[in-house]
Amino acid sequence: MLWSVTVQLLGGLWTTFRIFIFTLLFSLPIGLVLGIASRSKFKLLRSILHIFIWIIRGTPLMLQLIIIFYGPGLWLGHNIWSGNEAGRITATVVAFTINYSCYFSVIFRGGIESVPVGQREAGEVLGLTKWEIFWNITLLQMIKRIVPPMSNEIITLVKDTSLARIIAAYELTFSGYSFMKSAGITWPLFYTGVFYLIFVGVLTILFNLIEKKLDYFK
Amino acid sequence: MAILEVNHIEKQFGHTKVLKDVSFSLDQGHALAIIGSSGSGKTTLLRCLNFLETPDKGEIIVKGERIYKAGETKMSDSELLQKRLHFGMVFQAFHLFPQYTALTNVTLAHKLSALKKPETKANRKEVFDKINARGLELLDQMGLADRAYHYPHQLSGGQQQRVAIARALALQPDILCFDEPTSALDPELTGEVLKVIRGLAEKKTTMIIVTHEMAFARDVADEIVFMDGGIIVEQGPARQVIENPQQERTKAFLSRYSEG
Repeated sequence: MLWSVTVQLLGGLWTTFRIFIFTLLFSLPIGLVLGIASRSKFKLLRSILHIFIWIIRGTPLMLQLIIIFYGPGLWLGHNIWSGNEAGRITATVVAFTINYSCYFSVIFRGGIESVPVGQREAGEVLGLTKWEIFWNITLLQMIKRIVPPMSNEIITLVKDTSLARIIAAYELTFSGYSFMKSAGITWPLFYTGVFYLIFVGVLTILFNLIEKKLDYFK
Repeated sequence: MAILEVNHIEKQFGHTKVLKDVSFSLDQGHALAIIGSSGSGKTTLLRCLNFLETPDKGEIIVKGERIYKAGETKMSDSELLQKRLHFGMVFQAFHLFPQYTALTNVTLAHKLSALKKPETKANRKEVFDKINARGLELLDQMGLADRAYHYPHQLSGGQQQRVAIARALALQPDILCFDEPTSALDPELTGEVLKVIRGLAEKKTTMIIVTHEMAFARDVADEIVFMDGGIIVEQGPARQVIENPQQERTKAFLSRYSEG
């Protein structure tokens, strides 16, 4: 029994992991771009972004996921996500990317703003371009400052993947829950928890390493 | 011949006129000290020269070439970068890059500009070695040869400011600007920074120094400009302005200092 539960949970973990990694892969760069754009000189762009971020952060991720998954089918008459597991995971990643990009953008913006203006000016008087200043001076200082809030958000993402169950993506929590439904046993739920704990544990170690690595400067 | 001519510079922030018709010139190899109380416009004037602020009116001429004229000069970013390099800037709060060693702080700009040249690609190591050697030489001049591989937070304020001076010198600016270079330092550390600046003056480095150190300004600068309320109240040979000021406002300002 333990073996078959483990195999099933590992399958769920694989789906969870894919949602997690693809969401990160897309939402980190998009979040950075949104974070930079939300400091733009153009008021219209800023306003649009602020409203967009307000909507995304102000409504439940589960609701957004349902709309993303079922919406296109109802509006267009045909489902743009293929009905199989891959389609469900894709829809989940799209919804999560939109949501997490917004959260990340706020963290990035805070990070950029926390780097003293003097750093940018010191780069300017040395004749560096805006891009050189960002890439060579601001970025690493920003990363150092955003590691703690980022690690919070990324750990939340691990657990948010369980929301994919609402559109029947067969992720980790769904896998554990299915044993309760089919066999009436509850211990796989706790076992599922252990999977999450290990996942988050590995991430925590990783973040501590990054923090240590960036400890060489202040 | 004047290496720098500043004509009728004006700058306004919101409704506050910070600079009102400021003009002066500076000869090659001379050191100019700008004195005056806080809010007199000294720092804004330096920032205008470095294009950290854009003057509303007036013109700036370096080596006979007009690099800026308000209303006419619409600078592209690359032109702006080129023109900035006429000036070096040392900030009150150093603004060293914390993630780089002293040496990299000094060499970063040079390396980045070298990377843009196609000929660097082939012998990158050689070019960088040369830049590093030059950086070490500058740090040595600042008395920091043994601190080249330290990070800014491992250095004292005085050492950090000397690294910042080396960084500004690395690009060989025509005019080196200091914005209150010792104001953020503990009193016992100001001496080492002033000594370095004094050394630069002896080597005929063209400099503009905004400072509150009156004795230093008198001894090191060739000329002194006294600013108050956004205008130049008095300018002249350093010793004369400090020891025998002509204007009432200069006298009042200096007497506050000598009492202090």
